[in-house]
Amino acid sequence: MFVPLSWLREFVDVDLTPDQLAARLTLLGMEVRGLTRRGEDWRDVVVGELLEVGPHPSADRLSLTRVRVDDAGTTLSIVCGATNIAVGQRVPVALPGAVLPGDRSIERTTKMGVVSEGMLCSGDELGLTSDADGILILPAGSAVGRPLVALYGDTVLDVDVKPNRGDALSILGLAREIAAATGTPLRPPAISVPESGDTTAEHLSIRVEDAALCSRFVGRWIDGVTIGPSPLDVQLRLSAAGQRPVSNVVDASNYVMLELGKPVHTFDGAAVSGGAIDVRLARSGERLETLDHVLRELTPETLLIADDRGPLALAGVMGGASSEVGEGTTTVVVESAIFDPLSIRRTATRYALRSEASLRFEKGLDHAVALTAADRTAQLVAAWAGGRVARGVVDSAPTDPPARRVIFRPASVDRLLGLPIPVDEQRALLARVGVATEAAADGATVPVADGLDVPTRPADGALVAVVPGHRRDITIEADIVEEIARIRGYETIPAALPSTGMPGYRPDPRRAVDAMRDLLAGQGLAEVVTHGLVAGDDHERLGIAADDPATIRITNPVARDHVQLRRSLLPGLLRVVADNEHQRRADVAIFEVGSVHRMTDDGPVETGVLGIVLAGDWLPGAWDQVARPAEMADAVGIAAWLADRLGIGRLERLATEPWPSVEHPGRVAALRAVAADIVLGRAGELDPRLTAMADVRAERVAFVMLELEAIAAAMPAARMVTPIPRSQAVERDLAVVVDERRSAGEVETVIREAAGAMLADVVLFDRYRGAPLGADEISLAYRLRLQADANLTEDSVDTVLAEVVAALVARCGARLRA
Amino acid sequence: MDLASVRDDLAALREQALAAIAAAVDLNGLEAVELSVLGRKQGQLTAVLRGIGALPAADRPTVGALANELRLELEAALAARRERLSGIALDVRLAAERLDASLPGRPLRRGSLHPIAETAREIARVFGQFGFVVYEGPEVETDRLNFEALNIPADHPARDLWDTFYVDVPATAGDRLVLRTHTSPGQIRVMEQTRPPIRALLPGRCYRHEAVDASHGFEFFQVEGLMVDEGTTLADLRGLLDEFAHAMFGAGRATRFRPGYYPFTEPSVAFDIGCVVCDGVGCPACGRSGWMTILGAGMVHPVVLRNGGIDPERFQGFAFGMGVDRIAMLRHGIHDLRSFLENDLRFLEQF
Repeated sequence: MFVPLSWLREFVDVDLTPDQLAARLTLLGMEVRGLTRRGEDWRDVVVGELLEVGPHPSADRLSLTRVRVDDAGTTLSIVCGATNIAVGQRVPVALPGAVLPGDRSIERTTKMGVVSEGMLCSGDELGLTSDADGILILPAGSAVGRPLVALYGDTVLDVDVKPNRGDALSILGLAREIAAATGTPLRPPAISVPESGDTTAEHLSIRVEDAALCSRFVGRWIDGVTIGPSPLDVQLRLSAAGQRPVSNVVDASNYVMLELGKPVHTFDGAAVSGGAIDVRLARSGERLETLDHVLRELTPETLLIADDRGPLALAGVMGGASSEVGEGTTTVVVESAIFDPLSIRRTATRYALRSEASLRFEKGLDHAVALTAADRTAQLVAAWAGGRVARGVVDSAPTDPPARRVIFRPASVDRLLGLPIPVDEQRALLARVGVATEAAADGATVPVADGLDVPTRPADGALVAVVPGHRRDITIEADIVEEIARIRGYETIPAALPSTGMPGYRPDPRRAVDAMRDLLAGQGLAEVVTHGLVAGDDHERLGIAADDPATIRITNPVARDHVQLRRSLLPGLLRVVADNEHQRRADVAIFEVGSVHRMTDDGPVETGVLGIVLAGDWLPGAWDQVARPAEMADAVGIAAWLADRLGIGRLERLATEPWPSVEHPGRVAALRAVAADIVLGRAGELDPRLTAMADVRAERVAFVMLELEAIAAAMPAARMVTPIPRSQAVERDLAVVVDERRSAGEVETVIREAAGAMLADVVLFDRYRGAPLGADEISLAYRLRLQADANLTEDSVDTVLAEVVAALVARCGARLRA
Repeated sequence: MDLASVRDDLAALREQALAAIAAAVDLNGLEAVELSVLGRKQGQLTAVLRGIGALPAADRPTVGALANELRLELEAALAARRERLSGIALDVRLAAERLDASLPGRPLRRGSLHPIAETAREIARVFGQFGFVVYEGPEVETDRLNFEALNIPADHPARDLWDTFYVDVPATAGDRLVLRTHTSPGQIRVMEQTRPPIRALLPGRCYRHEAVDASHGFEFFQVEGLMVDEGTTLADLRGLLDEFAHAMFGAGRATRFRPGYYPFTEPSVAFDIGCVVCDGVGCPACGRSGWMTILGAGMVHPVVLRNGGIDPERFQGFAFGMGVDRIAMLRHGIHDLRSFLENDLRFLEQF
């Protein structure tokens, strides 16, 4: 909310600089987001008097004026393009050398052959109003020569009023806060309505269909008004507060809304048939053209102001075009009502018409302010537009409900804050915000939470807080505690450290993830974080149809490229590759830990995934070393190393069905943790068609995808150590020739099984195809490390090797390579 | 042959052999000298010893002793020369191996950790020292936990504080699903699965229906904290947050405690630190106020405690929530929130 300081000062004396005031309000919970000093950017702009207005000798659309700019009678000759000027008017004059907002300098210039010694200013040029067409005409009595900043300079605070404090969404409300904080008296506006003649009831009648939707409707009748502009200072004040001036009557209602926080609507009295106003829900088929000239079909939940001919306005949200106060209006109906907050919020949302008025209705309003606001509006209309205010009001609920009584235990203040505050001080602090206190009756109950009332005990010394009607936010004991702390100042709450019980041990769910992150970064990969929301296209490239039932979609997306929850980390990772390749990086090695989502019959399922992508150089090039691009074996190697470092142990690589058009059809493996017998994920290369569609240039993109839950399940709580044998190990090389379709993994498995317990390790150290081998043959060379408790004899080694060879021959169709 | 002539022969051999050893210029040459003098077959000294049999028996021990003495002398000379020559050879090799001292090393891959993830871990580390343990909750959350249970009923004006993404998953039992707009639903999840004393930390990705600019994104990261016990107070919260601010932003960092508003806390708190740019003087970065808000907090609203199955008359506690992005930006001087999800390696590799 924009708050002109000059307006605030009408209601409270502020003995603070604007910056101090801003800090004070912020510490009260009314955060000041910014300060604008209006007039700070005007230099040498003064009030001038138009002495002559004549035609420009050589330009039809320009006038030549003579303007008096000081008491000494100095006059300037100024060329002006506006048509709203006349002799005798007071206008803002930018003298030669003046500076206007936007660092605009005004100098002596020649316009169409005539010298112009400065400029007459529009409201827009000064940043005062949005009117750019006409010169700003100042009040007739304005002192010639006065700097404009002395008359219209102001400071405007931008205050962030929280949703629970609708009462502070007004100049008076914020003045009340300042008064409470500084202990200065509040000066509410003096309201007196110049009533005369017949009564409002003779012109106006109100029928409220459902008091639950409209708890009060106060109406007033004013006839004989003359529509025109509001006084200049009113227009400027409204502009500064962010409200566009319209006409004296409309401005009066907006002024009251800003001043008191109570939205008020004005109707053209002639448009209200028989003066009979109905507050009711819309009937099916009803339509209303609203003030924005949109013809709206009304739904039956819409609360209306109507007459016997049909809808006049969307209650609390927007008026209707047919009853709009305009140039021909002579009688005005003032509506100051209180509507059900929920109903207003729903209507405003339904028709996408959230306004300053609906915003205030939504937050709830004090019953009493309905009458105050109706009176204040009538007073201002009469002052600014003339006319006669009919005597009295029509009021659907003239009796104010009793004040809310919130019972609290003074000890709760210390209990929640950790700061003992004497009861007398508590009461004094509450009194500053208009909350009276008295002793609670025996057996009174404390509202601890909505629906939880706790009986007081005599020892509690419970008090009743009598809450003024505008403080709708104070309903439970904790609200009272907050209010006491707020007025005393949160700064007075001491800093302590918890000395209460500790929770039991809980394993950190991120242990494995953090370990992997450190390991991968240590191996030279860069961690990335990509969007959880991706485009439909991203999924279609993975072969996931636009209407795939397992995809979770956003029903109200904010950006076209972010409409579905990702099913895979690949789209995000590939985008990072492409973006960095675009920055001439040919060595992208990245990983991400994040969630992927899918819909199942049992609801949405979120899976934590580690994704690694290697595109381009994996072994970096150097002055004596040629760079080598990443390929599947690098991905598999990283996965195996990671598993080893995490204590998962050996990974087995299994042939698997490739994910069509995503994974390379011939280069992908499933990774199984042997010890835990859990498949952790996959590694391989991506289908070049997919990477090309993602604008990735690297010829090969290697990847690893592992599921976090599988990793956690395969990780031992602690590693168990195998004692180091004291005996000597023996190494033997064994090269066998097998059919090329035979998997190395299978050969390795046979070797492991046949060698039995004596085998400490087996490593594939060479793989060869070509002459002298047959066309379908491949040679695999393994180095076996054999070890036993005692030193091995030649014989026992030979025996084991013979068994291995025999098994390879029998189970893999292998022959020894000569 | 007589003794005298053998003596002469040995003396001559000695002269010649020592000269040859001294003259050898490399290890091969030295080996040739060794063979010619001490070799088993053609060695000259060997030949002398072989001739001993022709001497009178009385002279044989004398000649044997002399020859042996010579052999030891020559072996020592050979060893000395060998050592000298090896040293020279190594010197030559090492000299040939000289490298330009200014050559760069072979590069290792750089590797980096994302500032969001690292900041979240750092936050968890700090609160971990005070006994806070990590929990996790889902990104697709129920309306009940994201709003209702946190004292934010449907159609409540406070819902305007959270612009929400809805998903096309049908509601179950009237409970619509949303992308969590904050990590606060984790408060209820923790209370539902454990009993006080509670000290919980909930990091996670959140989503808000917001247009993207330098300080807003529709995806961002939060860390939620929750502490519930008998006698946990706002003063405890303040002390803890001071420790946190000092850990993250320096021991001398000023802090400020002021009223805030959240439907799920009462009293509610906004927590500020002295501006990290101007140290409280006032600059454009802090809107000239000298302060920067880093998190929201407050005493858990009794309704929320009750919704989590905890008796608000017996237990009380506080909760806080902070944007990891914001903490990271302030800590590392990052000016644009979008940097985090752009993943430009030139940015990432600075971490």
